[in-house]
Amino acid sequence: MAEMTKKMTRKEKKELRERMKHLKSGKLEKRYARMGYIFMIPWFIGAAVFLAYPLGSSFWYALNNIRITPLGRIFNFVGHGNFTQILIEDPDFMIYLVDYLTSTVISVPIIVVFALLIAMMLNMKIKGKGFFRLIFFLPVIIVSGPILGMLNSQGAGSVSAIDTAALSGAIGSVLPELIAKPISDVFGNMITTLWYSGVQILIFLSGLQKIDKSMYEAAKIDGGSGWECFWKITLPNLRSMILLNTIYTVVFVSNNSDNPIIVLIKNSMFSGTKEKGYGYASAMAWLYSIVVLILVGLFALLLATRKDQYEKQVKRAIKARKKEKRNKKRIERRNRRNAKRIEQQRAKGRITSHTTKRDDY
Amino acid sequence: MKKRILSILLAGCMAAGVLAGCGNGGNPGTTAAPSGGEAGGNTGSTGPATSVTNDFELVTVDGSSHQYKKYKDMTSENITLTYFHFDQDETVQLLAERFMKIYPNITVNVQYENVANYNTTLSTLVSNGQAPDVIMHSDCDYALSNMLLADISSFFNTDDETKNLADTINSAGLGTYNLEGGMRYSVPVKFFPGAMFVDRNVLETLNLKVPTQNWTWSEMTQLIKDATVLNSPDGMAYYGLGYYNRLDSYYGIAARQDIIGEFGFNGKVFDLTEWAVGEQEFSNLKLGGYIAPTTETQAMEDWCGDWEGWAGNTGHAALFSEAFWTFQNTWNTPGYKDSYNLDVVPYVIPAVSEADAGANHHSIATIDYGGITTSCQHPREAYELLKFMSYGVDGWYTRCEIYSDETIVNAMGTALKYDVMPVPITKDEGVWDEYIKVYCAGMDDEHTQLWRDYFKSCMQPISFGWTSIAGYWNFCDQYFNSIGIHDLVDNGTAQAADYVEEANRKANYFHAQAMLDYFGPGAYNVLTESEIAEYEKMKADNQ
Repeated sequence: MAEMTKKMTRKEKKELRERMKHLKSGKLEKRYARMGYIFMIPWFIGAAVFLAYPLGSSFWYALNNIRITPLGRIFNFVGHGNFTQILIEDPDFMIYLVDYLTSTVISVPIIVVFALLIAMMLNMKIKGKGFFRLIFFLPVIIVSGPILGMLNSQGAGSVSAIDTAALSGAIGSVLPELIAKPISDVFGNMITTLWYSGVQILIFLSGLQKIDKSMYEAAKIDGGSGWECFWKITLPNLRSMILLNTIYTVVFVSNNSDNPIIVLIKNSMFSGTKEKGYGYASAMAWLYSIVVLILVGLFALLLATRKDQYEKQVKRAIKARKKEKRNKKRIERRNRRNAKRIEQQRAKGRITSHTTKRDDY
Repeated sequence: MKKRILSILLAGCMAAGVLAGCGNGGNPGTTAAPSGGEAGGNTGSTGPATSVTNDFELVTVDGSSHQYKKYKDMTSENITLTYFHFDQDETVQLLAERFMKIYPNITVNVQYENVANYNTTLSTLVSNGQAPDVIMHSDCDYALSNMLLADISSFFNTDDETKNLADTINSAGLGTYNLEGGMRYSVPVKFFPGAMFVDRNVLETLNLKVPTQNWTWSEMTQLIKDATVLNSPDGMAYYGLGYYNRLDSYYGIAARQDIIGEFGFNGKVFDLTEWAVGEQEFSNLKLGGYIAPTTETQAMEDWCGDWEGWAGNTGHAALFSEAFWTFQNTWNTPGYKDSYNLDVVPYVIPAVSEADAGANHHSIATIDYGGITTSCQHPREAYELLKFMSYGVDGWYTRCEIYSDETIVNAMGTALKYDVMPVPITKDEGVWDEYIKVYCAGMDDEHTQLWRDYFKSCMQPISFGWTSIAGYWNFCDQYFNSIGIHDLVDNGTAQAADYVEEANRKANYFHAQAMLDYFGPGAYNVLTESEIAEYEKMKADNQ
């Protein structure tokens, strides 16, 4: 079949494509297609009802001043008024946003690196591995409830060995208040920050278990140290996991109920202030979402998996070899053509050996 | 074929489930929300009653000797009313049960939410078309901006019982938002009068004279200074005042009798001049070292060796600006009385001028308000329920019964009397006799008389601004609290008087804007033309 297609001319191919268009698909194919759509319906409905509709609604809300009264909702269209008010008149939003950006940029790498280290340790041959894995996953359950608030209020969120007051003072003396505060907060809530790494540890563990052990064996035979194995084998193989964990952590930190911006949005939503309310909160949520998306995009750009250098070299070599082969064939063809032409000329007696004179040039 | 049908059916079921899950009970949100009433619960073809006829019969219910008024203009049909509150829940549940015994055809559905989540939950209920019939509210800006409250003036003004409420409810128009049309949207539900508590044992130790009930503001501040002995013989300093409420709020009301709201509000405009005097005086007392350290501070640790200490149990603070409920919640609880050598007695917040101090005068009080929602379909019945839960005489007799029975306890096992028990805002003598009996149970005659005197002198309450003045919360949120005036004055970096002019402008601006937003066209639309012009001008002048 492939050979037949190869031999077909362009025109024939075009005709075949035209004919294929008018061909009816088989019963089985149709059934598969229909079943596929049927099975996708719940997802489409879910996405439409719980994603597209709320998104559209919240954007519409953001353009309105909304009052929720017992007699119904009152919409008053204000256009970009809510956005302008948030960006120009609301002092809290911008301050919280800078706090959020600074603390996220600092805390996300801390969480991801910590998770990687713990995952590597949990992947080693140690006794009670399962128990330790459970211990590190336990905060995932705890931090999702009010228990975290209680623990934090008891001072359990910070490492007592870290003199946070001195650290804050030192940071504050070097950096402006706006940046120094979120940095100090990260150190003040170090335990909480590290507690956020339960899921990431699991993801890294699954990634580590997928790495082929023979690679380590081969590296060891070649005299590679543990350090070299980490940089040359473990880390390159975990690249996609690092990206996944980074994005997960950014989203988790951004959506966390303790996040001051989330609290601000919630407070604005139920504020007694006439200018605030659902519309104002929706506008704030949209602005915040855009910032989070940009942050996720930046992290993704920074960590997106690039092609392996070795693979690149191999591909380049294959390409070069193919090119060389093509050139060789071309030269051979040309030589054959030239030889043939010379033969023809010679047969006609047009070419005699060494007959050219200087004057011929 | 069977598989295909089955898969289509399953997919259909899933889709229907998804859609049903996100339904809101059929209320589109843009039309009138249904009330909590059941079908057929209307008062009849004649329409709902619009006033109180005061025509009643006396009935008794099982378990009580009190004779209750059963009003004849109430519906005889079976209806359900929803009461949403942040009051003491066990008490409200018992009150609702008693109300249902008086009116067996009315089912009261009580819903409780704590103050922290109150507005959130209420908004959710309202947006889901499940607006309660009767609600409590804390900050009035939230309730008014969302048009939660219906005008109940026709009931309130025709009800005989409302003539006998604490004077300022009517004279200062608390809950009316001072509208020319005489509308009333809120009524006081919970009343906690302001008080200055004095530990007589401390005064005795320091050999200081116990003040009289008609003391003046200057006498009080002098007593605070006299009772401060930093180098006392027992090694622990004595302080003149342990504070919970700042004195500037107290002074702002006690200064003049024409002030009917915080920050010198006279019903139309703000004037923070008097407030500034009180603020500065309080800050000077703080800076002068006359005020006891607050909890969880190094100063507290240095003073009594306990980081989490409280001035109220040290026996080394003479006066307290604690909330009213602190007495029953803490000082009067059996364990507390045995553990600390305290003799805490109440005093009315003193007036600034001698003339005012000699008579009953305005004093700040914590009052939580309530009202009937705009979607309520049984306003007459809802009004009766609201009255029973708040200032109604029958409701208060029932409350006194509940509070006197110390076997009735809350979830923590504490008798309800010790769990934020409010004060009657009615002046009905029978209610007050019962209340004093409950409140002063176990006290000797001298203390009982002190409490009687105090209660008599505190019936001119003025509520905190956020509960009764439109735009007050916006002013605090967007100006006063955002620049941290209290801190600036307290640490001596600014003088309170410096802010008066600007704060007046801001407060008047926010108030005018709120009045127009809440009561103007597009909202309640009850402002007269002259009011609209007045508030427009006020807004423009203070822009």
